[in-house]
Amino acid sequence: MMTAQMFFIAFFGLAAVWFGIVVFRTFSMVRSALALLFSQTALGAMFLSMQAEFLGVLQIMMMATEMSIMAIFMVMFMMDPGGLGEMEMTHQKRLSLVTGFVSFVAAVMIAVFVDWGPMANTFPDAAQQTVDLGLELLGRSMLIFEMAGITILTAMIAATAVAIQPAKKVSQ
Amino acid sequence: MGPELVIALIAGAALFGVGIYGALSQTNLVMIMMGVELVLAGAMVNMLAFWRYLHPDNPAGQMFVLIIMTVMAIEMSVGFGVAIARFRAKGSVEMEEAAELKG
Repeated sequence: MMTAQMFFIAFFGLAAVWFGIVVFRTFSMVRSALALLFSQTALGAMFLSMQAEFLGVLQIMMMATEMSIMAIFMVMFMMDPGGLGEMEMTHQKRLSLVTGFVSFVAAVMIAVFVDWGPMANTFPDAAQQTVDLGLELLGRSMLIFEMAGITILTAMIAATAVAIQPAKKVSQ
Repeated sequence: MGPELVIALIAGAALFGVGIYGALSQTNLVMIMMGVELVLAGAMVNMLAFWRYLHPDNPAGQMFVLIIMTVMAIEMSVGFGVAIARFRAKGSVEMEEAAELKG
């Protein structure tokens, strides 16, 4: 029997995949960025359906910001951001389609045919989940958490250093 | 094995497949990054589904999701840094025109 949770997971999963496909089907780059935003938001809603409230809200907030920035970059860098010229921006299409389809089928086969063991019967509520995650982050996984923070900082500095305009040499 | 887990894993597999297609087929650096984002999103769904339906008592599953989000943010920041540098140097982020990067 289909439960409400199952229905919402399937619905938002389908929405995430559909908007993911739209990303590569539209000529407009702004629409592409917005489709990716909707895809990631549907994913956040899927997390909420799976009762992972903290991660669901985090996903929606983070991706809304990230995709807004991405849309700005798309407009800056694309030759035809509105897609009015319907420029072809793909290559090796057949190889990509086959590889994508084969990866999908392989992952589905693993998902369906592997015995994942018994399902969990009990589940912590939202408050308990956040407490558990906080204790995990500042306990057993603290080193990983700190490393993630330092890696983000390094990436930010590296990205700024790469992107910064080199100073022009003054000729004597 | 619950159907919710399988539905979530199939959604993750579909996102992974679409992302692989996008990353391989697009010629623009920003679009390639969008494909990689979808691949990582697929991995994230799987991690969360495993945590939710198999080991909800172990918060390490949520930790993995946070790590994947970190990887996504790093990929975006470094990718855009490279895109700005490339655009400044060559006036385009089309990867078809970046043949000099070939080994």
